[in-house]
Amino acid sequence: MTQEELQALAVNKSVDARGTACPGPLLEAKKAIGTIGSGDIMEVLSADEGTKRDIPKWANKKGHEYLGTVEESGFFKIYLKKG
Amino acid sequence: MSKLCMGLFSGSLDKLTAAGVILSGAAADDMDVDVFVLLQGARAFLKGNENKIDNLAEASFLKDEFISSLERLKVSTWYEFFEMSKDMTNVKIYICSLAGKIWGGEKLEDFNGLVDDICGIGEYLTSAEEADIHMFI
Repeated sequence: MTQEELQALAVNKSVDARGTACPGPLLEAKKAIGTIGSGDIMEVLSADEGTKRDIPKWANKKGHEYLGTVEESGFFKIYLKKG
Repeated sequence: MSKLCMGLFSGSLDKLTAAGVILSGAAADDMDVDVFVLLQGARAFLKGNENKIDNLAEASFLKDEFISSLERLKVSTWYEFFEMSKDMTNVKIYICSLAGKIWGGEKLEDFNGLVDDICGIGEYLTSAEEADIHMFI
């Protein structure tokens, strides 16, 4: 997905984990994905560099689709589609 | 479902924190986890001791920097990591019976609420044999 397509996604759940260091964002993502339905889109906001590799790998293992990452200033947004 | 077996020998703040972070990663992955708390570790799990642990196993001269960094980064305490992991996945915590006795803990009620049971070394080795990942901290 392009950056524009990611930005234009209709997000069903947004998780702001910018206040926490690893493993905080992963744990927030894990908790939040249980609250949405299959096919729903979730974004995770994080400022922890480790999250960029961690969440896509985790999503892949758990059967969710990693859609891409958008860089903002001082943080980034990771987009997932629940499997 | 994959399984993690952890031998937790250390009762120091740095290693307990590392163990807690690893456990929470396993919890995010829905792994089954067995933690076997050995010698020094068992002291940290005695009831009421969770907030008394403030020694580091390595680089003890950096203790103040370590503790203030954990606070600055809003890192959960080791106890909170263990608690969260137990809420999220199947984590069982066993105290080695010899280790418990060394620090004055003979029965399950002598230990904090995280502990599931007291066990012998055979159970640890059987768990390690069956696990996909085994680590010793």
